[in-house]
Amino acid sequence: MEQLVLKASRRTNLGTKHACREREAGRLPAIIYGHGEDPEPISLDAHDALLELQHGARVFNLELDGKQIQYLVKDVQYDYLDTNPLHVDLMRVKVGEKVHVKVGVELRGTPEGIAEGGVLDHPVSEVDVECLITQIPETIVAGVKHLKVGEALLAKDLELPAGVTLLTDPEERIAAVRVLAEEIVEEEAGEEAEQPEVIGRAKEEEGPEKEG
Amino acid sequence: MALMPKRIKYRKSQRGKIRGRASRGNSVSYGEFGLQVLECGWITARQIEAGRVAATHFLHREGRVYVRLFPHKPVSAKPLETRMGKGKGDPEFWVACVRPGTIMYEIGGVVEDVARDAFRRVAAKMPYRCRFVTRRVGV
Repeated sequence: MEQLVLKASRRTNLGTKHACREREAGRLPAIIYGHGEDPEPISLDAHDALLELQHGARVFNLELDGKQIQYLVKDVQYDYLDTNPLHVDLMRVKVGEKVHVKVGVELRGTPEGIAEGGVLDHPVSEVDVECLITQIPETIVAGVKHLKVGEALLAKDLELPAGVTLLTDPEERIAAVRVLAEEIVEEEAGEEAEQPEVIGRAKEEEGPEKEG
Repeated sequence: MALMPKRIKYRKSQRGKIRGRASRGNSVSYGEFGLQVLECGWITARQIEAGRVAATHFLHREGRVYVRLFPHKPVSAKPLETRMGKGKGDPEFWVACVRPGTIMYEIGGVVEDVARDAFRRVAAKMPYRCRFVTRRVGV
């Protein structure tokens, strides 16, 4: 997908009140930082920025002061429903500079172990990688068809695109096929279920005896 | 057995008010899909357990269900046919306070359609409006 050029404008009035007003006006507050330079508070078009984020953009192409520059999307704050962005952190990146980013791992195929009664566990869904901003992969696809019960896919087994280096511990388990332990069904306690222990209650009762 | 704390500092608590929106516990963190509550209120330990059982039974032991709620708050009640007064009643049940945005359950290790169906059953057990959410990868 062709990347949008987001028109950015500088923010002069800072603070919560002014940020809220920006959002009401359809703008998205953002900040640019990095490389030891002063941070620059800016605002973007909220609709365009949301579209870019929904399409998984990791780099924003901004038009600021008549110049087009690429920035790495370092962090995004979302609202209470985790849907709409409230603020975006953008990082300055030099040409040829490698950046650290998190990339999702997508599992493909049904493991052989599932037929044997196993369950596919996917404890790690993201890995840390280092690459150029132009080479950030959308996802890392990993085949798990060969996994049998008791086998695991480790981070070092992932096939990374050219120019991408893994930073996560190579022995980290990305996915594993395991057999679930039998669920222990506890009997439903009656209405007189045991009550939790009250902290300090026992000490208070023992206290006077010790004194006496 | 319904969830409840093992140790507590005080047996009874005041009702309190639930104001505002969820500022934490509002993103999918453990699984790939989640059930997010859209209203504020109490969810009892029995309801939490009912939701968990509904999800695990539907999944036929596939995938994994995570319960993100815990009932920390005791609710007291007076016995039937008791006159008013004579002090606060004894704790009857335990509840978890939820605010709009709180993720109640998460599911991992299954495809989206299965997770949606499982959460549809769980949502039917819940006293508030809920919605299905997916985990955001990257930023």
